[in-house]
Amino acid sequence: MTTRKVRFKKLNTKTQLPVLREDQIDPNEYESLTNEAQIQTGVEQAEENEYHLQSILKASGVSSDQEIPVPPPQESDIKYEQLYSRKVQQTVSYLRFSQTVEECVGCEYDMTTEDAEFLTGYNRGKKQAVRLSEDDFERLMECFERTAAFQAPFAVVDKAVVPYDAMMGALRELDDDKLMGYAKDIYEYWKTRRQEAGNKPVHPSLKFESHQETDDMDPYVCFRRREVRQTRKTRNRDLQSGEKVKRLRREIEEARQLLLTSRDLELKKQEALLIESKIFDRRAKIKQTKVKLGIKTNDEDLINQKVGKRCAFVALEIAANLLQPQKRKAVEPSPTVRPPPTPQLRVPLRPDARSVEPDMVLLSDKRADKENELRLDIESKVQNHQTWNKNHVDLTKGPLSPVSQSGFERRYRQVKAQFPLTPPASQEDAEPNEGNTNGSGVGLELMSHQDRSLLSPSPQPEFRMRIGRLGRMWVDRRGLFSEPFDAVGNSNDRWKYDSDSEDETDVIVMDPNDTRALKFRATIPLPPAHQLTANRRYAYPPGYVPRTGAISQPPIRMGQSQPQAQAQSQAQGTSS
Amino acid sequence: MTGDSRATSESPRQKSIATPETICAGCIAMVEKDGGYRRAEILSKKTTKSGTQFYCNFDQFNKRLDEWVPLVRVDFTKEVEWPNPDKDKPKEGKGKKGSAPSKKSVALKKGQKRPSKASKNSKREQSISVSEATTPHPWTELPVELPQLKIEESNERGAIDSNAVATPATAGDEMDLDDEYDSQLAKKKRADGNGLGGGYTREQEIEKLRTSGSMTQNPAEISRIRNISKVQFGKFDLFPWYFSPYPEAYTQEDLIFICEFCLNYFCDNKPFTRHRQKCTLLHPPGNELYRDDHVSFFEIDGRRQRTWCRNLCLLSKMFLDHKTLYYDVDPFLFYVMTCKDDQGFHVVGYFSKEKESADGYNVACILTLPQYQRKGYGRLLIQFSYELSRIEKKLGSPEKPLSDLGLLSYRQYWSENILDLIIACNEREEKITIESISEQLAMTPQDVEHTLQALKMQVYHRGEHKLVIPDKLIQQRAKAKLKKKRVLDPARIQWKPPVFSAASRTWAW
Ligand SMILES: [Zn+2]
Repeated sequence: MTTRKVRFKKLNTKTQLPVLREDQIDPNEYESLTNEAQIQTGVEQAEENEYHLQSILKASGVSSDQEIPVPPPQESDIKYEQLYSRKVQQTVSYLRFSQTVEECVGCEYDMTTEDAEFLTGYNRGKKQAVRLSEDDFERLMECFERTAAFQAPFAVVDKAVVPYDAMMGALRELDDDKLMGYAKDIYEYWKTRRQEAGNKPVHPSLKFESHQETDDMDPYVCFRRREVRQTRKTRNRDLQSGEKVKRLRREIEEARQLLLTSRDLELKKQEALLIESKIFDRRAKIKQTKVKLGIKTNDEDLINQKVGKRCAFVALEIAANLLQPQKRKAVEPSPTVRPPPTPQLRVPLRPDARSVEPDMVLLSDKRADKENELRLDIESKVQNHQTWNKNHVDLTKGPLSPVSQSGFERRYRQVKAQFPLTPPASQEDAEPNEGNTNGSGVGLELMSHQDRSLLSPSPQPEFRMRIGRLGRMWVDRRGLFSEPFDAVGNSNDRWKYDSDSEDETDVIVMDPNDTRALKFRATIPLPPAHQLTANRRYAYPPGYVPRTGAISQPPIRMGQSQPQAQAQSQAQGTSS
Repeated sequence: MTGDSRATSESPRQKSIATPETICAGCIAMVEKDGGYRRAEILSKKTTKSGTQFYCNFDQFNKRLDEWVPLVRVDFTKEVEWPNPDKDKPKEGKGKKGSAPSKKSVALKKGQKRPSKASKNSKREQSISVSEATTPHPWTELPVELPQLKIEESNERGAIDSNAVATPATAGDEMDLDDEYDSQLAKKKRADGNGLGGGYTREQEIEKLRTSGSMTQNPAEISRIRNISKVQFGKFDLFPWYFSPYPEAYTQEDLIFICEFCLNYFCDNKPFTRHRQKCTLLHPPGNELYRDDHVSFFEIDGRRQRTWCRNLCLLSKMFLDHKTLYYDVDPFLFYVMTCKDDQGFHVVGYFSKEKESADGYNVACILTLPQYQRKGYGRLLIQFSYELSRIEKKLGSPEKPLSDLGLLSYRQYWSENILDLIIACNEREEKITIESISEQLAMTPQDVEHTLQALKMQVYHRGEHKLVIPDKLIQQRAKAKLKKKRVLDPARIQWKPPVFSAASRTWAW
């Protein structure tokens, strides 16, 4: 060993290290051990220095005779073979198992010494047959404890005691009639036990977090839920999953209810079948007796005629139809099945426990009733409709009059037709809108202006030149004049001289279906924001009958020229 | 809590002669242990039919050797060190942190162990007297000495006991405020202490406590004291080493019963017997991954088998000081080793493992049940954990802190395997790298290095790092090999590393 300080190179894990035995190296050159001072043990610092550990670590060998003393276990004096009497089966393959403890321990309530004493007392003086067994006692207690945990989870705090009536649901689910006789008594006992335990579960349970401040300090509080990691990105997805799970839960619950009802139904059917077969047996007996005794009355009482019974069958039938709508069709073709003219002894039973017999007639009657009802309903609706339309004028004379001369096909498209969004000012523009006073309703702003040139026949002839094959030239010509088209005919006249106000000088009624008007409106770009309002504030043209049957707005007024009005008119035009 | 008994505290305490009446929780007295007298901190005091008893933590002894001692074992002729309210406060704060770890620190770690607080400046090292450590004291009389009497009234014990030491007069500036929890605690303490003021004497403080209504025992103190006396488990009665949060009512029982297969617990023989008539489990409720003539291994998912795994944790907490049951078992897998007979597959030991360990740990907690200890089972458990890591193509290491027994088991496993490897290298006259050892054994390079250093094999010689195997170790190894210790046969493992879905990660399962 030298006195000068040895400078260590830091050992790289990839460095190739020669491996030598102690005797392969000169002890005098046994230079130095690296890092002799501190070796991390991973033991908590305070314990690292404990007496027993240190004494072993100092020995520093692979195996050591020394041991850390621990409180030693003892052989138990319990009857192990008796307690653990189940034998394990030998398997060649490795075991695979996924049942939980709860699924493996049967009834989760284990009776205590106190319970056993109570039960002995309770059974005293009772006959063997009516004694309550330990198993059944535990089932009842488990039922009460479970229901209490479910219905009054904060019983410790709010001191809520689940009343006996609230236990009935759970008790019924035990599905054991003989237990019901004991339930009330055991409930009372359970209640006392529970009160003694401070309204806590009869068996002490682990202390879980109560989300109170005391939780953190309490060493008995264990198995806390871990805070869910912050995952903002997926929060939305989590919410969706949550919703899905909730829905699934709901649907499963519905399915469960459906199963329960169908189970009831099947039980009823079985009952009916049994009764039916009993009746049959009895009748057979009667018949035999009759034959034996030579009684010759008619056999009417040997066929199904009782009203009550018939009703029952109808009810069954209806229930069956409700459950299986398609079955109805199968039954329908034979509504005319009549009771056989001659008494029939054998009542053929259909697989679904219904007899083919007279009951059918009643069903068809029922159907007829239903049809009647429907017809009446329709009639009353017609009536209603008529009363609604009372006092309304019908303008629906010619809603779809064919377009006369001014049809598109007769005219050429105007080539340079760039219309300004705001039409040129006209006389009408200056006029106030008096739509409201005219009773046209909620601020209806009606189509008002059109380009004059479109409304009146074009004053000049129009021409178009085309060059065809072989250089031939074609000149298409458009007429000088077209008659104004009056789609609604003479009905316009009705308002010709109407005037609500003296100032109102000019009301022009126009046809929204006029091709020219359509054409014009088609060129007006509709501001998207207006689309919706335009549709909502829908203006009916004269003569248009809304589907409700009532005629809504009398005239269409003109006399406004704002883009909004255009928008409306366009909407009107395209959707009418 | 650290096992850091105040018996070794450096801060000067008041010393004077005590009487059986005045001696109280927090005092350090000389108490007889294994035939000699040893400094011991009194953690609690109770009065039973047979007289007053003190719960003592012995200087330099692991907490598992703590016990209730009768008055006669306390040496009243020697001066007693009185608790020093001012100086002991900071420690108190830390103690609490240990037993109920702050959400912050554990949420980050999410392990099954209490976070280690390695305070580098501990003065304890200086107070160790290693020279004394020549002859280990064999365990002698603990079972006989175990208290068989119930603690009569909880508030009675609370009144005089450790409350005294737990009640801070001035929490002071020394409080370790390194995290939120501690500071909250500090505030709380100050608030509590306000009414006491500075001028009260110790007796007045106690009296104040007695009447003020806050009679519950300091929680940190509670978890320092073993609460279950005796456990009937399988063919054995076990004597717990540490606190475990079984229902508080169970702590009143002399003996509790645990079903060997489902691990459910019972406070009385009657319900236990009833349960045994109904319980159908004959093995841990999971899939068998390994089987040989000797042992089997089962894999249990903490989420799927919540009850069983919680039961296992409660059971093992009685023998693991650093285990925490603060959080639920969902994010862990449990690998349970069993041995089989006609009655079923009996749990011998287990280790838990995080489904996804951020720190690359391949073991969270590991335990061989006391009745199976010192039979080589620990080595099998450790081997299995590394075999799994090997299949996962990962390097593994156990979560820290290790217990004393854990360290010894791991040291032994590591040394044996590293030695075998490098002895073979030496025979072939080959060189080897730390990395190569680490990969062959699925151990982390740090663990390899630490083991080499602990065995004094890593040597710096002539400007070169070398591995030198001491003759003693070669001989020991040869001798040990003759003993034919059991090992697992990796070929028998039927296991694929489980994959957990994105959803399960999202929800931190
Ligand atoms: Zn069991």
